[in-house]
Amino acid sequence: MRFFSKQFGVVFASLLLVVVMFAGNAHAAKIRIALAETPSDEVGAFFLALDRAKAMGLDYEWTAFADEELAIQAVLGGQMDIGFGTPYAAMQRSKAPVRIIFQLSKLKFFPVSSKKYSSLKDLNGAPIMLHSRAGGTDSIANVIEDRVGIKFGQRSYVPGSQNRIVALMAGQTDLTIVDLANKNKLIEQTGDKFNVLPMFEVDASDEALFANINWIKANANDVDIFVKALLSVYQDMIKDPTIIRRETNPDGPIGQLPKEVLAGMDGFYADAVAGGLYDPNGGGKKAALADMDWYSKAGQLTGDPASLKIEDFWYMDPLNRAMK
Amino acid sequence: MMRYRSYLLTFLSACIVFGSWEIAGRIPVSYAFPTFLETIAAFWTLLKNGTMFVAYFETLKPLVVGVLISSFVGVGIGLAIGLSRMSDWLLSPIFVVMQTAPLAALIPLLVMIYGIGLTSKVAVVIIMAMPVIVLNTGGAVRNTPVSIVEMAQSFLGTRRDVIFKIILPAASPIIFAGLRLGVSAGFIGAILAELKITPTGVGDIITYSRSIADYPSMYAAIMSIILLAVIFLNVLERIENFLFKGAKHVYASD
Repeated sequence: MRFFSKQFGVVFASLLLVVVMFAGNAHAAKIRIALAETPSDEVGAFFLALDRAKAMGLDYEWTAFADEELAIQAVLGGQMDIGFGTPYAAMQRSKAPVRIIFQLSKLKFFPVSSKKYSSLKDLNGAPIMLHSRAGGTDSIANVIEDRVGIKFGQRSYVPGSQNRIVALMAGQTDLTIVDLANKNKLIEQTGDKFNVLPMFEVDASDEALFANINWIKANANDVDIFVKALLSVYQDMIKDPTIIRRETNPDGPIGQLPKEVLAGMDGFYADAVAGGLYDPNGGGKKAALADMDWYSKAGQLTGDPASLKIEDFWYMDPLNRAMK
Repeated sequence: MMRYRSYLLTFLSACIVFGSWEIAGRIPVSYAFPTFLETIAAFWTLLKNGTMFVAYFETLKPLVVGVLISSFVGVGIGLAIGLSRMSDWLLSPIFVVMQTAPLAALIPLLVMIYGIGLTSKVAVVIIMAMPVIVLNTGGAVRNTPVSIVEMAQSFLGTRRDVIFKIILPAASPIIFAGLRLGVSAGFIGAILAELKITPTGVGDIITYSRSIADYPSMYAAIMSIILLAVIFLNVLERIENFLFKGAKHVYASD
């Protein structure tokens, strides 16, 4: 008898669990956002947009992934709704029905070197340290080769701009490509011991917001709110970069960052806006064309760049509606 | 017949695993999950164009160095731990800590100490492989049946005789079990190092294929490591059987 009551207990508990799980799913109207990194000052603008979207009625939850590729895979696998990144290769190769809806930041990276080099033309044959093979900085190196007509020497890979700056300062490399924040840190800490090589303008995306096209269409209302909020934050920020810090929710993930980080936010956004890191119009067609050109040269997209279609990579409707 | 049965069962289990993989890939469970056949095709391409060999040349460097150091030093330390209570007190805790430490979280520390080169990768392999070898050896030596040690002593065997003729042979099956576990942990360590420190070798194929969304190649690289580890462990088992005949496995159902 006791045996049966125990079995009954197990069956009942399992049933209860299943019911609870289904009930959980039924209420899962929240949109699930996959961040490509843990919250830092650099995603302050994004979180401010989330706050504004929430005020407009958007219900969301976010999960931070260890890197961009994992965030992309989570969206491809359907565990997440919206992700961060530039999944051009995934869109073309795996025929995944994901589309980009908003450009979050441009590929603003800076070649920095020891005093050995002073312009891009000097870099023929120079060994260079980059983030990862086929990653963003690798694509920048490819395009520099293409535009300037040089060929870099051996490429070595060390993930993380902050690590490459350390390697540069320690003399382990003479040449690397780093992001805006780390370039500024280098100048701040070492003055004129290193060179920041003049670089041409780049409009291609570093981070963009993307999601499954079917999901976007099924949740058009939520996506519209989100894109509208992002656009309003970007336009306000470009007028006044200090808005990010002022409006950041002190109890949110960005507001809870250490004081020193928060104190540096005004400087970071002022530099970023001045450096053209953000597009006030969310990228749109201009960014899509720049991306297709850039990622073809970088080797992420294959085939003739002229034959690529914007509709295969971008879904403009939410942005167009928000711009009205 | 017995012999065939074991092959048949192995074949059957492989069919079930690869069959489910193929089905999962065809559904597909995710756009990032290739089918088994696509993966095999990518594997073949990587073999044919030589990418795989070049990659393994890189990956095997920290693996071989790390596993060799772990095996020799590990068995040595394990013996010391098993034979002397003082060394047990002194050394065991270090290896228990090493075994339980969350290695992936410690990698930045290793990079700070050893830099981004081969040394820190070897260190990761050693941290993964050595504790299990040391602790298994120590345990095996300590658990040598007292009666046969006493027998050797009553035959006036020296301490050296007791260690080399009694304790080591008696402990060898467990020492080898430890070596096998250590080597497979070493494989994990080598790949972890390549994914977490600097992408080289097989770790580079994995990260690169993931970057360009060439998922079949990514899974082919992962599969190749598993394959290599299985082959290596089988070889180790053969060596063990050759060295210590009679210690063959017997199954209760046979």
